[in-house]
Amino acid sequence: MIRDFGVVWSERGLLLEGLENTAIIAVVSAVLALAFGAVLTPALRSRHRLPLWLARTFVDGMRCMPFLLLVYVIYYGLPSLGLRLDNWGSGLAALVLYNTAYMAEILRGAWEAQAPEPAEAGVAFGFHGLGLFRRIVLPPLVLAAGPVIGNQMIQIIKDSAFLTTIALSELTHAASSIQSRHYVPFAAFITAVFLYWGLCLLVEAGVSALGRVAEVRR
Amino acid sequence: MTASDALSILKGAGATLTLSVLGILLGLPIGLALAIARWAQVPLLGRIVALYVSLLRATPLVTLLLLLFFALPNVGVPIGPYSAALLALVMNTSAFNCEVWRASLLAFPKDQYEAAQSVGMGAALRFRRILLPQIARASLPGLVNEMSMLIKVTPVLAVVGVVDITRAAQRVGAETYEPLPPYLVALAIYVPIVFALLMLQRWLERRQSKAELAS
Amino acid sequence: MAAKILNVVGVSKTFGAATVLSEVSFQVDRGETVCVLGPSGSGKSTLLRCINWLERPDAGDVYLNGARVGVMNDGRLMLDRELSKARTRMGMVFQHFALWPHLTVLQNVMEAPLHVQKRPHAEVRDEALALLAKVGLADKRGAFPAKLSGGQKQRVGIARALAMRPDLILFDEPTSALDPELVGEVLLVMRDLAREGMTMIVVTHEMAFAREVASRILFLDRGKVVETGSPEAFFTNPTSERARQFLQRYADRPIANP
Repeated sequence: MIRDFGVVWSERGLLLEGLENTAIIAVVSAVLALAFGAVLTPALRSRHRLPLWLARTFVDGMRCMPFLLLVYVIYYGLPSLGLRLDNWGSGLAALVLYNTAYMAEILRGAWEAQAPEPAEAGVAFGFHGLGLFRRIVLPPLVLAAGPVIGNQMIQIIKDSAFLTTIALSELTHAASSIQSRHYVPFAAFITAVFLYWGLCLLVEAGVSALGRVAEVRR
Repeated sequence: MTASDALSILKGAGATLTLSVLGILLGLPIGLALAIARWAQVPLLGRIVALYVSLLRATPLVTLLLLLFFALPNVGVPIGPYSAALLALVMNTSAFNCEVWRASLLAFPKDQYEAAQSVGMGAALRFRRILLPQIARASLPGLVNEMSMLIKVTPVLAVVGVVDITRAAQRVGAETYEPLPPYLVALAIYVPIVFALLMLQRWLERRQSKAELAS
Repeated sequence: MAAKILNVVGVSKTFGAATVLSEVSFQVDRGETVCVLGPSGSGKSTLLRCINWLERPDAGDVYLNGARVGVMNDGRLMLDRELSKARTRMGMVFQHFALWPHLTVLQNVMEAPLHVQKRPHAEVRDEALALLAKVGLADKRGAFPAKLSGGQKQRVGIARALAMRPDLILFDEPTSALDPELVGEVLLVMRDLAREGMTMIVVTHEMAFAREVASRILFLDRGKVVETGSPEAFFTNPTSERARQFLQRYADRPIANP
């Protein structure tokens, strides 16, 4: 068993590259999803029927869809419609599309929990539309929604593992490759498990730090 | 894609359904047991459970699945794709359920429990007649949410050879050279089920907030 | 010799750095109504909870009808099962009622006699209905606790304690969480209970009630029994300075008349 871990250690380059790729794709999709989600959130609270209905359908649709099926539809299915994305493109597209819906919903929930006064004050001072949203509404929103966004970040990290099925060289794929070449399944995958755990602890630490920042500004 | 193709996809649904239902049914009581181990502050066990749950909640299902499927035979425990799939599902969902149950346990009014103690109810009675009925009700929305999460991750089970909806859809796609329609059929099976669970969860949450307002 | 229902000997309890109870000793005869008075933080509730071992005393012993509570004869701590048996002989009424919300009023009262004492269903039901009538809530038997007022909930709580036919009932500030106009109905039930001869230990701030109903006052301050005596003696001529200060503060407060 110790020998097995020695093998994994000798392949640490591959493992670290996988970890790096996991981190990259998770962070990039999270940032993009948060950005797109923030754009979508006002539609979820819109008083006009059409934008509300469209946004609602998109969000609920993504929530009811298994993530992996979305990946397969994009990677295997879209080429037949003329849109061919490689595994990184498909993975990123799937993660961003899927989590835009979740981020929009999270921000909507946080928005509704906010007190209306600061926004009203913003309006009274002449802020409106996009400016109002970006400078007055959004910052406290993101701070308040921190823990929930953190949870979603963890979810994104875990969903990225599904991309091993389309041969994207993230962490699980690296562990799988080490396993299949050296026959060290336990050592390889347990190491991956602890690396995922480490990533999640990092996210939770980040959320706590954000929480402390939020406390000061409350 | 023909009707018989659609049928083969539906047959895969049988495996998906069986694994999902079993996973859910086993994950509920195991999650509760884990939550109680932590809540009752059993000395060593509580800490171990906390560590176990934290690890499992951070582990992607596919990684856990591959770990179990490949590592267990390596240490002398032969395991097939369906058993590995079920084990992975149960380990995963029980860890998440544990946190749902634990939230309800922590929110449970202590004085009701003390009232049960004061009339001489033993631990089993307190649990069965006072604690469980109420935490079950409080945990329902969260547990239903976990059920829908479980169903949404089942497509990955095909990776170890389980012949489920996804594997069947892939097979049809490979044979007909039209990969998109079978996946859309698979979606057409999954989405309504998850949607129904989502509606159930929202209804439960509404009912609960109404009950809280009333009391 | 008068039947000593309860014997508390040298009970002490600390929470962290704070000593909440310090060598508290007293005895209660059958049929007595002992009112425990004292300023906030004097340890009154903790004392009650140490009697039925909801809190574990750090030192001292509690004897119910001569039998030690919480500790077996050979010195080891009682298991939950054994402690539960001891508790069936003591009833408790809680400040925040602690009714079980998923059961109806009648079910609340019947629950313990049925499932702990395992008495026959018909007998338990008849007695429960009689108890509910006694506290004036016969018509509410099918209602759920959420629908009741605070005073009604507490009366159900009293009926629930009575249903176990206990030797003694502990009242932990039974009216402190009630709106003033609901206090009276609960105190009335308690006064009748006392007159019928139930042994009661009542932690309360209701001075008029204590004065009228108590057979003995126990005055606690900072975890110690500072004074004990008959109500007339305590209220008209307290011997300790702390008791005098305490009564002074309460002299100006309006007190509810049962």
